[in-house]
Amino acid sequence: MSGDPVGNDILLSVRDLRTAFDTMDGTVKAVDGVSFAIRRGETLGVVGESGCGKSVTALSILRLIERPGRIVGGSVDFGGRDLLAMSESEIRDVRGNRIAMIFQEPMTSLNPVYTCGRQIAETVQAHRSVSRAEAWEKAVEMLDLVGIPDAGRRAKQFPHQMSGGMRQRVMIAMALSTDPDLLIADEPTTALDVTIQAQIFELIARLREERRMAMLLITHDLGVIAEMADDVVVMYAGQVVEQGDVRSVMTDPHHPYTRGLLASIPRIGERRHRLEVIPGVVPNPLNLPAGCLFRRRCPYAMEICETPPHLTDLGGGRSSRCWLDAEGRAPEVTLPEAAHG
Amino acid sequence: MATYILRRTLQAIPIIIGISVVVFAIVYLAPGDPTARFRTPKVPPEQIEALIRAYGLDRPVHEQYISWASTFFQVWNPDAWGYSFLSGDPVLEKVLYRVPPTLLLMGSALLVTIVVAIPVGMLAALRQYSLTDKVITTLSTFTYAIPSFLVGAYALYFGAVLLPELTNGAIKFPSFGMESLGSRGDPLDLLWHLILPVLTLSVISIAGWSRYMRSSMLDVLHQDYVRTAKAKGLPRRAVIYQHALRNALIPIVTLIGLSIPGLIAGAAITETIFTWPGLGSLFVEAVGTRDYPVVLALTMVGGVAVIAGNLLADILYGLVDPRIRY
Ligand SMILES: Nc1ncnc2c1ncn2[C@@H]1O[C@H](COP(=O)(O)OP(=O)(O)OP(=O)(O)O)[C@@H](O)[C@H]1O
Ligand SMILES: [Mg+2]
Repeated sequence: MSGDPVGNDILLSVRDLRTAFDTMDGTVKAVDGVSFAIRRGETLGVVGESGCGKSVTALSILRLIERPGRIVGGSVDFGGRDLLAMSESEIRDVRGNRIAMIFQEPMTSLNPVYTCGRQIAETVQAHRSVSRAEAWEKAVEMLDLVGIPDAGRRAKQFPHQMSGGMRQRVMIAMALSTDPDLLIADEPTTALDVTIQAQIFELIARLREERRMAMLLITHDLGVIAEMADDVVVMYAGQVVEQGDVRSVMTDPHHPYTRGLLASIPRIGERRHRLEVIPGVVPNPLNLPAGCLFRRRCPYAMEICETPPHLTDLGGGRSSRCWLDAEGRAPEVTLPEAAHG
Repeated sequence: MATYILRRTLQAIPIIIGISVVVFAIVYLAPGDPTARFRTPKVPPEQIEALIRAYGLDRPVHEQYISWASTFFQVWNPDAWGYSFLSGDPVLEKVLYRVPPTLLLMGSALLVTIVVAIPVGMLAALRQYSLTDKVITTLSTFTYAIPSFLVGAYALYFGAVLLPELTNGAIKFPSFGMESLGSRGDPLDLLWHLILPVLTLSVISIAGWSRYMRSSMLDVLHQDYVRTAKAKGLPRRAVIYQHALRNALIPIVTLIGLSIPGLIAGAAITETIFTWPGLGSLFVEAVGTRDYPVVLALTMVGGVAVIAGNLLADILYGLVDPRIRY
């Protein structure tokens, strides 16, 4: 996808997005030059370890970054307009209307003092000229659509009267109530039970299909990406380290970090003493190592890795930020048989 | 809800009994003697003896307590709270007479405090770390640290001395009592008398309440649901007033309930400075003259007010926060 985007097929294109947080100890470059694009009706997965900047990327798209954070540079092209250059009232027209978002924490993302129905109706009224009664009707219809039984009664309930799974359904109902072109789903199931997780993903997949809606799906689980996404962006320490279509990235990962992530997915029927995890920890964002950010954890680290690698176009919409690729695809390098217990 | 209130009221009974025992013990053990001011060489010792007997001060302490406590709640009897050592008037009447001025003074002060402190605290929170915020925060810290008698003294000096001098007597705030002689309850005259003491009381409480409001608002502004409200594309107005403020006021409403006892007990120092004829100044007088029946009665009123205020705070909390159901 770093290749030439196919004209108006592209719905949203993020270019060189940079977002930083000014903390007491210095400036944290939480997102440092991220670029990707989402095609109309398709799902782009963003995957990476905790703290790699997935949520900050998503929030930056809708300009929801709060102080001490600030968007330092880049552009977010949406329908020919740069979201980052819009006026406050213009971006408000996009938020919740053409781009909707659901969050990681369903338990705290709804306002405790208003009923669920009211919170959905409010979204509808903010973007459509409908009466209060019509907005309420729409809210009940949406609750029904996301599989909440007895929606008319549930709409009158407060968030605390619902389970986490139900609340996330309410969030989804709210997000879809305005028929957005793009849904940003930031780890929508992380806070939920495993059985509920599957239900929520099923719901999202079904609704996305029915409405031909594009989605930016954030997760730290490559398994979810394999199920739900068309394309994938792998992030590490605020940067994109690999991207491409899901099938080829999963079957033929280039970046050692992607390989590590793939190796850490347990496969059914496979007997292993322990899961392969990537050794080491994410570098301290205040004190990033010079050169490749993954170097200290990389089994292939070489001398050249002390110079920062650039994102190399691998053709077919794929790219990877690794010297192995930049130097012409390295000959078969096998994983060293190190940390097996 | 009704059963909740009933249950809480029943629970309050042992607490009130406990308070009465403690209050009585403190007053009984307090140094000083109510007959001290009669003990001059001119008063024969037999008369002192007679006085002590008349007051019942010669009886054992538990008898004194029981005779006092057993009649205390018979508020329909004018003599339920005994008689003032000082004037011989029924204490109940004396106290009731002082209630309206205190409610008026403290109620006005609370109203002014709320009306000023909530917008000020909100403004500071919305502009966190800005110059506005820093000025508000510094000013409120500074004001909060001034003792109320100093604020009262400055208010008196400014309103009743400096201002008349500067305006050649055109503006002169009254420094004494709650009405001018012969004003016959003219509301404007009353308002005029209210200004300085209300100002004194509210300056300090505005400082405290605005800081409280600021931190409550800041807390709410960082909540996920406020981010959700923004992400929905609501205008800033709706995000702040409907989503943030509504939640930030929940702890404030509780605070209002909790400040009810202070409202009833009055502000002893401020009332004394401005000779406001309320419960606070009555208390100071009663302590000064060791008028024990009055001290006991006022302390009990204060204790009951604390319990009632707590109950009220909990009820209000249940009304404004849908998560709380009794
Ligand atoms: N409010 C903040 N103040 C300072 N730094 C922040 C703040 N929010 C985020 N960051 C920085 O941004 C980095 C990326 O955070 P982000 O929330 O995007 O991670 P994430 O990839 O979504 O992780 P997770 O999987 O845990 O949700 C963090 O490591 C942190 O250093
Ligand atoms: Mg996140």
